Amino acid sequence: MTNINSDIFTLDPRDENNPGPAMLAPRGSTLDGKVIALFSNNKPHSVELLRMIADVIKERYSIEGIVEHNKGGHQWTAQPEDLIELAKQCHVAIHATAE
Amino acid sequence: MERQNTSSGQLQFSGWEAAQEYHFEHGLTDGLPIVPPTPTKVNAMLDYVGLSGDTVISSEITRKKSFTAEKVAINAVLAGCIPEYFPVVVAAIEAVCDREFNFHASSTSTNGITTMVVVSGPYSDRVEMNSGAVLMGNGNRANATIGRAVNLVKTNFYGSIPQDMDKSTFGHPGKFSFCFAEDLQASAWPSLAEFKGFDSISSTVTIFAANAPLQISIYGDKNPKTFLTATAHGMIGLGPLISEVAVVISPELMAYLDESDWTREQVQEFLFDKTRRPAREWIEWERIDHPESIGDPDQLLGCVSEPERITVVPGGGAAGAFIDIISSWGSSRSVTKEIKVRR
Repeated sequence: MTNINSDIFTLDPRDENNPGPAMLAPRGSTLDGKVIALFSNNKPHSVELLRMIADVIKERYSIEGIVEHNKGGHQWTAQPEDLIELAKQCHVAIHATAE
Repeated sequence: MERQNTSSGQLQFSGWEAAQEYHFEHGLTDGLPIVPPTPTKVNAMLDYVGLSGDTVISSEITRKKSFTAEKVAINAVLAGCIPEYFPVVVAAIEAVCDREFNFHASSTSTNGITTMVVVSGPYSDRVEMNSGAVLMGNGNRANATIGRAVNLVKTNFYGSIPQDMDKSTFGHPGKFSFCFAEDLQASAWPSLAEFKGFDSISSTVTIFAANAPLQISIYGDKNPKTFLTATAHGMIGLGPLISEVAVVISPELMAYLDESDWTREQVQEFLFDKTRRPAREWIEWERIDHPESIGDPDQLLGCVSEPERITVVPGGGAAGAFIDIISSWGSSRSVTKEIKVRR
């Protein structure tokens, strides 16, 4: 029978290569002259929320334009090719969820 | 020091109780005591499947995690598995990384689902899994610890820590363990493994992003159309166009299906047809996210989009005319992988 009071060695069950939390992308100092992507996850009212945010931004900055994208469902990550295409069209993206 | 050719960090404790307390304090258990994962026990797991510790069983794209055999083995020991169970755990971890399963989203969602593991084929008998009475409950080491191992890999290694990355509004008891075997004697049907295209000596795991099971009591006669109608009624409550449904049918009802020569495909077709309702009904019941997207309110929408999304599994105790239905989450698809056994 094992002596439950003797020293024992165990192995760590965690991911020891965890790179830590993701870093934020570099932030610009202004939205003036920028194209802004509104990136919806298709939850109810997410598009409306994004448009309201865009209206506020338009009041504060002279933006160049708005690009809307809807990834079609909140349950899936965005398709990489869609993100690449969106990145070509805009300088800044705003992602929103809503209910 | 007990090194034994492992690469994971070693922890030293002054006895069994200290090891338990460390795992509790650091959130490395599901709230229940663990088996301390000593290098000896971990290596026994690896030896059984013939994998080196650094073998990558599978990789998950969203969090960029590579599930090494050693880390999976450590968590299998923690869960209380014996080496004979490890091929099942390995197959399940291989399955969760399939993109169709959408592991990351299903590990974070407020929906509170768990990874349900259904084992089909002769290996379930070899490791004495329970496919009979209380198959989804307590009392069988293989069922309990294989399912628990998958969940501990998810929390400890993948990082889906309750109340942190796991934002389940409610969760359900299957988050401790949700694993059972198909009853291969309950019907004349081919096994689920064969149904999925494997040969008769192969064993498989099929994983689902599973909500809590809903049990349907059957009060009608032996006619399959009668008790499957009751089942369809339960499925309608799950909502339209959900990704998949698993339907577990008790041996008593399986006998009635056999007597009537009903095939698995017929059960799928019947349930699919019976749950189809006009879109306007679903809209009236407030079960559609974007009703404005429905062009024709009279179009028929089913609980699922096609019969193949209904997985039918014989199982359960000999007594009782019951059917369990388990809905899968969101867009997640079930995934089947072969259990690779060294023969």
